[in-house]
Amino acid sequence: MRGLAPLFLGLFGTFAFSWLGLTVIPNIQIGALNPQMDEEGTDIYPMPKSGMAERGRRVYAANGCAYCHSQQLRPGYISADLDRVRDAGPSPRPKWGDRRSAPRDYLFDRPLQIGQERMGPDLAGMGKAAPSEEEKPAAPPESAPSGSTAGTQPPQPPNAVAQKPPAGGASPAATNAPAQISPTPASNPSSPNPRGMPPAYSAAWHYRHLYSPRSMTPDNVDSTMPAYKFLYEKRPISGERSADALELNGADAPPPGWEVVPTYDAKCLVAYLMSLDQSHPLKEVKSFGGAAPAPAGSPAAATAPSGSPPPAPAKK
Amino acid sequence: MTPATGIPLKEPTISAAASDAEQLERARIDASTRVPVLMFYASAMVWLLLGTLLAGFVSFTTHSPDWFSNVSFLTWGRLRPVVVNVIIYGWASMAAMGTATWLMARLCRTTLRHPLLIVAGTWFWNIGVLIGVVAILMGYSTGYQWLEFPPYAALVLLVAYALIMSWAVLMFRFRRGEQIFITQWYLLGAFLWFPWLYAAAQAMLFVVPVQGVMQAAVGWWYGNNLLFLWFGAIGLGTAYYMIPKVIGRPVYSYHLATIGFWTYVLFSSWTGMQRGVDGPFPAWMVTASIAATILTIIPVATVGLNHHMTMQGYFPVMRYSPTLRFTVFGAMAYTVFSLVGILVSLRSSARYLHFTQATVAYTQMGVYAFFTMIMFGSMYYIVPRLVGREWRYATLIKLHFWASAYGIGLMSLLLFAGGIVQGSNQQDPSLPFIESAASVLPYLRGGTLAVLLLIVSHFIFAFHFGLMLFGLGRTSTVPTFLNPVEAEGSEAHL
Repeated sequence: MRGLAPLFLGLFGTFAFSWLGLTVIPNIQIGALNPQMDEEGTDIYPMPKSGMAERGRRVYAANGCAYCHSQQLRPGYISADLDRVRDAGPSPRPKWGDRRSAPRDYLFDRPLQIGQERMGPDLAGMGKAAPSEEEKPAAPPESAPSGSTAGTQPPQPPNAVAQKPPAGGASPAATNAPAQISPTPASNPSSPNPRGMPPAYSAAWHYRHLYSPRSMTPDNVDSTMPAYKFLYEKRPISGERSADALELNGADAPPPGWEVVPTYDAKCLVAYLMSLDQSHPLKEVKSFGGAAPAPAGSPAAATAPSGSPPPAPAKK
Repeated sequence: MTPATGIPLKEPTISAAASDAEQLERARIDASTRVPVLMFYASAMVWLLLGTLLAGFVSFTTHSPDWFSNVSFLTWGRLRPVVVNVIIYGWASMAAMGTATWLMARLCRTTLRHPLLIVAGTWFWNIGVLIGVVAILMGYSTGYQWLEFPPYAALVLLVAYALIMSWAVLMFRFRRGEQIFITQWYLLGAFLWFPWLYAAAQAMLFVVPVQGVMQAAVGWWYGNNLLFLWFGAIGLGTAYYMIPKVIGRPVYSYHLATIGFWTYVLFSSWTGMQRGVDGPFPAWMVTASIAATILTIIPVATVGLNHHMTMQGYFPVMRYSPTLRFTVFGAMAYTVFSLVGILVSLRSSARYLHFTQATVAYTQMGVYAFFTMIMFGSMYYIVPRLVGREWRYATLIKLHFWASAYGIGLMSLLLFAGGIVQGSNQQDPSLPFIESAASVLPYLRGGTLAVLLLIVSHFIFAFHFGLMLFGLGRTSTVPTFLNPVEAEGSEAHL
């Protein structure tokens, strides 16, 4: 063999080449991006998340959510990501997103939870899928049919953040009567949800989904997501029932006199999920589906073919 | 000398006297590495058992997701990273360091100095892994895949590493003989690259954190380089030692070995970003990694050809030698693993395989079918030389081999096939998303079966290893053959 110097130089040089090429140089290219803003400097995107959502990201990371959920949308010419709609929600269902993800979307993300697996759906636009506030007056609560049955909620009252205060105490065991599971999940999704589901992708929905993923009829009964019951506290009701107690029925329902309330971690996690939104247009990326209307509101958004063969691939 | 069966089991071509002196020297070297290497192996075995048991549990919870949802540290989301990290840092890294230390001593023809310092390093490493695992279980995972250990655990690992590998490198300083064997290239490379890789990743994620998507770039660069330049390099280096050693024949071509080595380092170190294909990254990064992945066909072809030509005419020895059987399996798996890697990377197929179980299958083939099998092979070779006993039961070795081979084969096939189904369903927007997850579930159930096979295989091996460790191996000058050979075969270095 030749001398040692070439060997060590080679070992060192080849690896330095890869280190510089794949981490250092890209870091010079995209490692110091600024948020995008318009001329007046008002419409700033992205913005740092709230404290709760930031902490929620840590909960998300600590519990390995990224092992099953990605937070990145691929461009339309390579994948179906932009054509896809979510499994739940009123018709037309919310889309995963209107544009591909770009480096700028993740400016403030730490730890970055971009993911590389999709056993569960992509979450890049999760918050955007939540029922919007403006929609509230459009769907006046048709009044819960039987106020005494806890866990029965009006069909699609947006009620985005807070749970409905229950009419009366904990859900009695009687509610686990064989609930009418809707046999037509897709054809008539805007029909009143059976078993009092909260509006899809509202905070209440997330709370319940995290607690008991397979109770989310009619769209998630086959979900393979683990339940995160440890993020909740089951405790006896002292006096008033807590405002944030979960509306549960069937096998998940706590015994009478008990309630299930989310811990602070669960609240942060839901705040984080609700904060995920990449719908803001970016200059460097082409958006499809118009000006990102209310996800549930505009049929145009969901039915638009969302650019299968774009003339020019959206730049990174 | 060739036994009557016509099996080409070779006798060493050196004279009896020289052989004696050499035997003595080897025995002295082996004795100096005895405690640290066995320490590495024993720790690695414990982590392996823990890792596979947890992997079985995790595999069950994949399709029974309501299990233990009240207990935070028994949920899938925490145990899955634990399994990955235990296998990578507990089992694979410790087995790698054990084998590498022994090989380095043998190849440098020098005794291991200050073995107790290495033993201390082993303890530190174990403590580091333990701290990291407990931290993940308690919910302090960093959230970066393969780097879930919190920085303080990583610091312990780096200190341990410094204690361990400085002595291995020191051996190189005191080497005797002119030749630097190809295995030493791989080992020296791995010794140099790992601390750089690990420290650079830690620094760029935690000390002077990079912004936004660069975190993923650093993560993938780290992950793939760990796979190729730490595990892969030690695995290939070991194969380059074991195959010629067992069949008693030199490496077919040194030129091929050189080309294979440098192209391997150059190209495989640039892979990684293909895991972010079409993600939010500059396209050139992904393209460069895809190109590098395609170019790894060159080292695969040269290394594969070299091993094949070395083995030419000696394949029947695999019937007898446990080391050779495991090593050749691993070397062949390296070829398959690399070809699958190319398939997973190409943009046209990546659109169906990205985000699916197929990428999991790819990683498992690298860590297990390729690397772990070679490590098993090396342990079958090295442990008898350290404890002075031979493996007691040929049947157990055979069971271990077949359970491992079928286990990982089944696992890879199922996950890969499941990934294709999953990916095609994901690419069809008219199907609800849940269809894609549901369609892969049957394959994951099969995967659970495969994990059970691996658990069986590892417990068999651990039991056998335990016998050796407690001096219950056979006292014999004849190595344990998988199948009976006529007595003349005993001189071969099986």
